[in-house]
Parts: sequence; structure tokens; C-alpha cells
Amino acid sequence: MSKDLKYTDAFEELKQIVSDIEDGEISVDELSIKVKRASELIKVCKEKLTSTEEDVNQILKELENN
Amino acid sequence: MSDTPKIFTLQQVVSSIRKTIEERYQQYYWVKAEMHKLNRFASGHCFPELLQKEDGKIVAQIRGTIWNHQFETINKRFISVVKEPLKEDTTLLMQVKVTFHESYGLSLQIVDIDPNYALGELQRERQETLQKLQKDGLINANQQLKFPLLPKRVAVISAESSKGLSDFMQVLKNNEWNYSFFTMLFPAYLQGDNAASSIISQLENIKKVLHHFDVVVIVRGGGGEVGLSCYNNYELCKEIASFPIPVLTGIGHSTNLTVAEMIAFRNAITPTELGDFLLQAFHNFSVPIKDAIKSIKYYAVAKVEDEKTDLNNLSKHFKNGAQQSLYNNQQKLIAQSREVGSNVRYNIQNNRQKIERLTQNTLRESVHIFQREREKVDVLTEQFPKTIKSSIIGESNRLDNLLHSVQIMDPINVLKRGFSITTFNGKTLKVGNKGQKGDEIVTKTAIFNIKSTIMDIEEDNE
Repeated sequence: MSKDLKYTDAFEELKQIVSDIEDGEISVDELSIKVKRASELIKVCKEKLTSTEEDVNQILKELENN
Repeated sequence: MSDTPKIFTLQQVVSSIRKTIEERYQQYYWVKAEMHKLNRFASGHCFPELLQKEDGKIVAQIRGTIWNHQFETINKRFISVVKEPLKEDTTLLMQVKVTFHESYGLSLQIVDIDPNYALGELQRERQETLQKLQKDGLINANQQLKFPLLPKRVAVISAESSKGLSDFMQVLKNNEWNYSFFTMLFPAYLQGDNAASSIISQLENIKKVLHHFDVVVIVRGGGGEVGLSCYNNYELCKEIASFPIPVLTGIGHSTNLTVAEMIAFRNAITPTELGDFLLQAFHNFSVPIKDAIKSIKYYAVAKVEDEKTDLNNLSKHFKNGAQQSLYNNQQKLIAQSREVGSNVRYNIQNNRQKIERLTQNTLRESVHIFQREREKVDVLTEQFPKTIKSSIIGESNRLDNLLHSVQIMDPINVLKRGFSITTFNGKTLKVGNKGQKGDEIVTKTAIFNIKSTIMDIEEDNE
């Protein structure tokens, strides 16, 4: 799973999988793959809710350089 | 001139001033002035600071007085007309009398304030700013931006000491869902004369590091409701409206909305409410994820159950079908084997009869053929000796004739008729075998051989 996956993308993909599953458009063969992917996406989204990656010092440095 | 100077008591001087002023200023005047501070005391009397500014500088300043009973009347009218209480830092049109008090000094006693003028002043800048923004096409510019799915990274324009800031941070940091925000403070003056330029300059700074932020919030609170006219400032409002990411305001006051609040992406009444709004955005992201988990579980399980049921039904159908098909085939097989049995018996009988008939026919025919052949043999047996005899006689005659011809060809017979053969060196005389004079030649006749010597050879020219 890519670390660069934006939560917007992860969220959109998750919504798509859910609607596919709800509409019954996923066969039993694909089901386990899709469920696995969905749980990865959920994990990414949950992490995004509870973590930050920004660094104040980095921003201050950029401000000084501008 | 050497008289000792006349000495007055302070009271005499002050009384004199009062008298002079009372005589000079007997009328009431309408005066336009900014009421900087109301200074209402526990007694209910107010001693406002009255100012006149030009280009931001104070060019006139004097103390005012509003007696409690007059203040009540004025304020009531003010509230009913302007829809807000008498407010500091606004320009007012007031009816005053110049008074002088021995203890309190010079002041303008305010007996009336025109609420319509106050309303007009307040609305004027606001209206002007709105009109300009409308003209610029910026009124809804910030509100039309797409709000980020997760407003995680928040640039905060506020003052470190602001109660509003601590309220706001409290909401973000102590949320029970463990949502994590990144905030960075960009300190600015939040009210008064310097606020607009100070906020604009921080917005410019944020623009430089824009990619680190999802939203900007302007948070103020706890500082009373004075000096907020800066939020009607055209330059500031223009900067907010045209800002590339959503700007949210939580300025925390109860009077009419300022233009900045109107054109911001979203305005919250208090910094706390603004914090709650950001949390709500996280909820909006988090709830669908929870629902997704539920939904996926539910539908995945249901799908597997459905397939199981289908499979069970199918295998039941299959079992029944197979049994039925087996039974049908068994019945067919029995019927067929019966049919085959009777056919076979019929065929065997039929063929046996055919064979018997054929045997009889064959016997009859063979006896007949045998008889006929025997008759033929009998005829041949009778004819055979006669044929042989005549054929042998014929052959014998032919052989006799041949022998005779051969005997005639024998040289001895020719010699008997008087011919002879002359040889040289054992071979008959020919062109290449003729010998020479003196050579011996042999002449053979039927009855003797003559040896002679060649006397002469004459060429026969014919």
C-alpha cells in the first residue's frame, strides 16, 4: 500500500468499493480481494484522522527563505 | 507695579472659568465625534472619551458626560433603532452642552444621541466594502472553494493571549475521538486600528507556505466588542475573499456580522463553535468509514450466505435430478434388453431356417453338379485315346521330314555327288587364306583326301 495515498483518493476508492458491494456487483471470487483492499483503505483513512505529518520548523524555514 | 500680585484661590479660578463658560455656551449643539470609550461607572453615569481623528491621528479629544437617567433613555432608543447597544469606537452625532465642573473639569454633557446617524455611520463602511467586493466579483469567491475532506492543517490567525484562541485550541486538542490537527499560530492584532494590516500581512505569509495548510482560521474572543470595524475594512475583506484556501472566522461578538464574516468560507459565532465545525468535518469523514465497515461486513456475509443457499439448493436439485435420471435410464435399459432378447430369438430362428433351406439346396445342387461332371469325364475318357494316337502320328511324320532335310545339308552328301573341298592350313581357301606357290593344300572328296603342292596361282579376273 502506497504511503502517498491521499485520504481523498482512499476515501473515494473506499466509497466505490462499498457501493459496488452494496449493489451486488462483486462476485464471490472478487469479494475477498475487495474486502481486503477496503480494510487497507479504512486503515489509511483512520490513520489520517489521528496523525499529522507537518513540521512547524520546516514551515518556518520556508517562510524565512521566501 | 510693585504691588504684591493678587492671589486667587483655586476655587475662585475654577469658579470663574465655570461662569465664563456657562455664559459663553448657553445653547445645546449637535456634535459629530467618535466615542472611543464609554466609561460607565457603577453609579450608571458614563464619562466617555470623545475623539476626532484625521488620517488615523487624533486631532481633538474631550471627555463627555452622560447622566445615568439620560443614558438609559438614549440606549433604549439606540437598541430599538440600531439593533445593538450603544457601542464604543463609533462615530456618533450627539446633542451636547459645554459644561464645567469645579472638581471634574471641562466636559461635554451629552443629552441625546441620534441613533439614525450611528446606524448610518456603522453601515456606511460596511456597505461600501460590500459594494466594492461585489464589483470585484469576489463576494462569494472564498465560499465557492472546495472544502477539504479533512481540514487537518490549520493556519491560525489570532493573538497568543486571546481567550478565543485558547477556547479554539481546547476544542481541537481535547476531542474525545482522538482526531489530530496540525495548527500553527500566525500572531496578529485582532481589533483596533492595526488589525486590518496585521491580519493582511499574516495572510500573505500563509500564502508563501500554502501547501502546508488546508484552511485558515481567524480567531478572536474575550476582548469585548470594540474595535471590530476593522473586519469591515475593504483591503482585509478583499484579501480574505480572494484567498486560495478556505478562510474561516470565529471572531466572537454579538453585533451585526462584519463583512469579513459574511464573505469568509464559514463564520462561527464563537471560536469554540469554529473548533466544533472542524471536528464535524472529521466526523463527516469518519462516519462514512464506520458505515463502510458495517456495510462491507453486512453485504459480504450476506453475499456468502446467498451463495451457500444457492449451492445447497443446486445440490438438492442435482441429487433429485440425478436420481430421476438414473431411474429413467434403468427403465429404458430394461425395456431395451427385453426387446433385444425377443429380437435375438426371432433372428436365430429365422437364420436357422435359412441355413436349413440352404443346406438342402446345396445338397441337391451338388448331387446334380457331381452327376453332370461325371458324365463329362466319361465322355472325355472315351475320346482321349483316339485323339492322342492321331496327334502322335502327325508329329512323327513332321520329324521324318525334318530329318531328311537335315541329312541333305550334310557336306558328305554334297561330296558324294562329286564335289570336293580344298583346305589350306585346315581352313577352306578364301581371299585371306589362299597360300602361295609351293604350299601344301588338301583336297577332300567323299572317298579320299588328296594332298598337293601349289604350282601356280592365277587370279581370276572375272
